[in-house]
Amino acid sequence: MEVPRRLSFPLVLPKPASSARSPLGAAGQTAGSSKDQTGGEKLISEEKTPESGVIVVVEAPPEDGKAARRFSSQDSFSEESSLSEERLEEEAREAQRRAEEEEAAAKERAAQRQQLAIQELVESERSYLRLLQLSTVTIRSNLQQQLQPPPAGLDSMFLHIEEVIDVSSRLLSLLDQKQLQFGEPDFPQSLCDSFLSLSSEMEAAYKEYLAHYNHVTEVENSYKQKEALWNEVVRVIKAAAPDVNATSLSFFLVMPVQRIARYPLLLQTIQKHTDASHPAYALLEQTAHTSVALNCRINEYKRFREVADKYRKTEMLTIKDKIVRLNTHSIAKKTARLGQQIKHEAGLKPKLVDEEFDALEGFFYVLENGILELLENVEMYLQHLQGFLSCRTEDFDLDMDGEKAPICYKEITTALRQWILPMFEKRMRKLIHQPLCALRDLLVGPRNLIRKRLDKLLDYEVIEGKPNLSYEEQAVANTYRTLNTLLLTELPQFNGLALQMMWSTLGTFSCLHRDLAADMEQLFHSFAQQLPHSSLSPGAFWEWAESSVLEGARRLQHLCRMVEDKLNAPDAQPLSPSSQRRLKQLTDKHGSGKIFQVMSTVVGTRDLDLNLTKGELVAVISEADSRGDRRRWLVDAGGKRGYAAASKLIRYHQPTDDPPPSPHPNLTEDVTTRRRHSYSPAGNAPLPMSQPCFQVVGAYDFTARSKHEVSFRAGEPVRILEPHDKRGSPEWSLVEVRGGQRGYVPSNYLAIMPVGAGLPPNPGFFL
Amino acid sequence: MSWIPFKIGQPKKQIVSKTVERDFEREYDKLQKLEDQTKKLHKDMKKSTEADLAMSKAAVKISADLLSNPLCEQDQAFLDSMTALDTAMRRMDAFNQEKVNQIQKTVVDPLKKYSSVFPSLNMAVKRREQTLQDYKRLQAKVEKYEEKEKTGPVMVKLHQAKEELRPVKDDFEAKNKQLLDEMPKFYQSRIDYFQPSFEALIRAQVVYFTEMYKIFSELTDQIDQAGLTDEQRERETEAKLTELRALSIVADD
Repeated sequence: MEVPRRLSFPLVLPKPASSARSPLGAAGQTAGSSKDQTGGEKLISEEKTPESGVIVVVEAPPEDGKAARRFSSQDSFSEESSLSEERLEEEAREAQRRAEEEEAAAKERAAQRQQLAIQELVESERSYLRLLQLSTVTIRSNLQQQLQPPPAGLDSMFLHIEEVIDVSSRLLSLLDQKQLQFGEPDFPQSLCDSFLSLSSEMEAAYKEYLAHYNHVTEVENSYKQKEALWNEVVRVIKAAAPDVNATSLSFFLVMPVQRIARYPLLLQTIQKHTDASHPAYALLEQTAHTSVALNCRINEYKRFREVADKYRKTEMLTIKDKIVRLNTHSIAKKTARLGQQIKHEAGLKPKLVDEEFDALEGFFYVLENGILELLENVEMYLQHLQGFLSCRTEDFDLDMDGEKAPICYKEITTALRQWILPMFEKRMRKLIHQPLCALRDLLVGPRNLIRKRLDKLLDYEVIEGKPNLSYEEQAVANTYRTLNTLLLTELPQFNGLALQMMWSTLGTFSCLHRDLAADMEQLFHSFAQQLPHSSLSPGAFWEWAESSVLEGARRLQHLCRMVEDKLNAPDAQPLSPSSQRRLKQLTDKHGSGKIFQVMSTVVGTRDLDLNLTKGELVAVISEADSRGDRRRWLVDAGGKRGYAAASKLIRYHQPTDDPPPSPHPNLTEDVTTRRRHSYSPAGNAPLPMSQPCFQVVGAYDFTARSKHEVSFRAGEPVRILEPHDKRGSPEWSLVEVRGGQRGYVPSNYLAIMPVGAGLPPNPGFFL
Repeated sequence: MSWIPFKIGQPKKQIVSKTVERDFEREYDKLQKLEDQTKKLHKDMKKSTEADLAMSKAAVKISADLLSNPLCEQDQAFLDSMTALDTAMRRMDAFNQEKVNQIQKTVVDPLKKYSSVFPSLNMAVKRREQTLQDYKRLQAKVEKYEEKEKTGPVMVKLHQAKEELRPVKDDFEAKNKQLLDEMPKFYQSRIDYFQPSFEALIRAQVVYFTEMYKIFSELTDQIDQAGLTDEQRERETEAKLTELRALSIVADD
């Protein structure tokens, strides 16, 4: 029997089956769709089709026919099937109703969540706008008026905020104009339309703001330097906005940075809770994409401006750059010079030229190697980067959307994975990978030429010493010399340029990392004040985190143990007579503390291992085998002794019931034990005859097979004379039946019955 | 449950009220979803940290291979730059390793531990279900006997059946109550349990990227040409490539 697992009565169907309300249609469709959804879940479809086989006409899928046939053969089984047929129908209808209800409930929930998400977006926009306006209007003017002299650079801090405020209020007014309520189906559509229509203005406003934001932090830091000034500033802020826990200007001024990064997550959340069949779904998707693209472009612009600003400041190249430049030229010059020298002073002497050439050649090969290796490593790096981007850890839903920490994490990770890292990857490919690939391709030419030159050299050496060269031989010599000179002149240039290119890609690599880190820092800045423990020093923070994790683990373990102990205790099923006897035998011999129950059937594999069935009771003699292995216990299985795996044994608790209220207290315990083991009275129970509350009756018909035995019918009251036979075995009891005959009967054919159950207490009762 | 083909042996009396059953299923569904999501998050986190480590190691390899390349011996300035790059990469890798270790301790391991509770819970729900089935079966049996003519053997059997039923019923009710108590509590516990994990995740990254910014700002000042936009870089690269292509030794022969 299976746990009712996710009843995949589908919660969100692409085409809701509940649209067809007729019982015929619904039954057939639900059966069909449950088959669609749960191909492997034959049980569900099997259950549904028998009934629907009765109701549904032709349209049901072919399996119905088979099932109907199956069902009709079941019909012939017993008369009770007609009852269960009704039952089946009833339950099918019920299950169907339940499925429809579940579906409706799930849709309701999704719609609610969507509404909540939309509400979140709009209301957070409103409060954002309000705070921005507060900072601009109230705080700024207060600062200007109240502080004498007004702090320097104050106006520059608020330089671009007006445009942001403007765009935000326009968005809200567009929404207000439509005068729609949150719950209305058209709201998402109007939200998306408004957002998209304003997206270019949003980009313009936010991109200026973000590019300028570094300046804002700089100015604020300069204020912080002067303690008195800063205290004043904080005082003004607190006075102007007492309900908000703000301690700096950047609390307000960082909000646009944060806000633009929040839009993707907010929009994606709305999209997530929207049915794909909703009319506004495609639009929502588009809006979400637009918001991500917006962020990309804003970031790019920010970087462009940063660099441009810096460039304006630096007037001269750094010394390192000069050295780089000098270096490649100097190599070229050196080698050229050397070549010239040799030519002038010594004439063309292949051996000396060889030395120079060999140096160049050596350099070339080293360079080639370096480039190829670098390219390979860069490709490996990019591969892992893609791997990182593909595991979207922000896509979880632990139903914790009300908590700050998970939301912050989601926003940060969304930003990282959806535009910050992708931008980084794009730039790496464009500025590093592509140039390196192009460079690698250019290596082919020189490499081939060098090889050719070697061939020609060999040819040349052969004819070198000859005084008179034939025409062909002269041609060979010329080819060689030309090649050689060509390589001698150009190879240095090649080497130099290639080296310079390599070096600049490495510089770019470093720059890209710096930009990545800068983007992340700016992003984190906006979350700094939201997290409860962000103000703790690193040491204190990690201490808190680790101790919280330990605490959590401890609680979890406690819960686990509790669940396992209480809920997984062995089932309180009454024992079979043989089990009871075994229990008694083992308890008598070993004590109740040693009794264990077998949890699942064990087949012994080694010698002296026992075969035990599930539910069997054993007593543990030793919790280790002769070699000291504690996983193998020596057990007594009622006569047989052997080894069994300890993992399959669980302690057996003798069930202890509360004694029922009985006017005969000295019988209480025995009644209890007899109730538990109601098939055979315990060997040393006092004769019940003396107590009018209970009596012994035959539980089943028994026919005597010898003259020592006596027959009786089920329900016939008997009198126990001796609860064991002549040899003392408790399996047989000596009884007297109605007619006065006496004889032995099997003890487990007897039962204790309360007298009040309708039986008259005298043995004159007749069936 | 309604998916047993043979319906014989089902009690007429509704043992568990619909509301209770629905509540139970709803709570259990929530827990199953939580189980899925925690497993998914655990898997994603593991993959993500693996990729992260691999990326960092690849970056170190870039600089290490270059440094060991004889190219560096050509020139002191080049050697200095490469050494600086290599140092930076190694330092970043060390920070990354630290970050990953912290995440492992405060996020990945707790996620795993949380997931490991679910098998026990699922088993408990299963056992409740088994007990429920037994309960229903025995209840049906009792009802069957109750409907029959009250003869002797019937009375005996009825009594026995009732005796059999009682412990099972108690067991079920205990299990049911326990689970109905524990499931929501466990579900609720996720908030406090995961709060430190998320904060730790964020904090670890803040520390890492702050260091990254410091290290690479310094390095970039040292080895990169200052004040270049992306377009300018591209143009410079293109210029060099053109110059290279202009060489006759490069042209395809």
